[in-house]
Amino acid sequence: MQMMTIAKYVALGGFLSACASIEGGERTGAERSVDAGRDSKSLTQLVAGVWVSPDGCDFWLIDDGFEGYLSDRLTPDGRPVCSGVAPPNTVVGPFREGSDIPDPL
Amino acid sequence: MARSFTDKLRMLAGGFAAGAMSLALIAEAAQAQGHPAPRSVVGEEYTPTIWVDPDGCEHWVMDDGFEGYMAPRRTRDGRPVCRRSQICGVIPSDQLFKTDKFNINENGRKQLDEFFKTANAFGFLIYGHTDARASDEYNIALSDRRADAVADIARAAGVRVVDVKGFGERQPRASGSSPEALQQNRRVEIYCVR
Repeated sequence: MQMMTIAKYVALGGFLSACASIEGGERTGAERSVDAGRDSKSLTQLVAGVWVSPDGCDFWLIDDGFEGYLSDRLTPDGRPVCSGVAPPNTVVGPFREGSDIPDPL
Repeated sequence: MARSFTDKLRMLAGGFAAGAMSLALIAEAAQAQGHPAPRSVVGEEYTPTIWVDPDGCEHWVMDDGFEGYMAPRRTRDGRPVCRRSQICGVIPSDQLFKTDKFNINENGRKQLDEFFKTANAFGFLIYGHTDARASDEYNIALSDRRADAVADIARAAGVRVVDVKGFGERQPRASGSSPEALQQNRRVEIYCVR
């Protein structure tokens, strides 16, 4: 059990250090429109799930491996969509599918 | 112990100067809204890209290496900027309702029932719109009732209604006052939530 935990952290450590040079905070300008890090895909390819807030309203939730994104789901006139797709404080859908980066954190 | 008169005068002048400075800032902000005066801005370039959500609406997204940022793209009056795929069905009101009425004829009922049962959506947003031929207030009420009438059919068909609202004449689809434009503006819009 403990061995497994250690192995996990070692693997994660190696992974983080391998990425440190690219996944830095040194990006500028238009570079910020592309996913940083190993898979360097366009941010337009992110896959979202729906997170339901404590108020019962929907937000798009994306877990991209390193970055997390959260943004409002809106009606055409700009009010929140509160669809009842899931109970409050839960997330549904393929929000981790946008990246093959393992997400042990 | 006591401050000299000149010290006090200096403090007073300082206070005035600070007041004048904040006034200057306000003036600059006001100017920026009307005629922007050239000024230098100390900032950093942050260029976003656009991510389109499953509803078809756009979001600004940035990844600066460690952090990611996202916010919905909106028009200046607060509506989200969306692509056409977002809309699921538009029904001309003339197909469902008589002028100034909000009960739906038998044929319209059947068509809507069929639509709701086969649309394969998690839920529906239903919005009524009118043309601009009566008062704004009257049109809001009429479009509200028409949207409600469509929502009742959805509920009877066993599907989930997420949002119902009437916008009256405030969100025309076509501009102008030609009979064609007015006809296009009398409508019920249905958005599907997947």
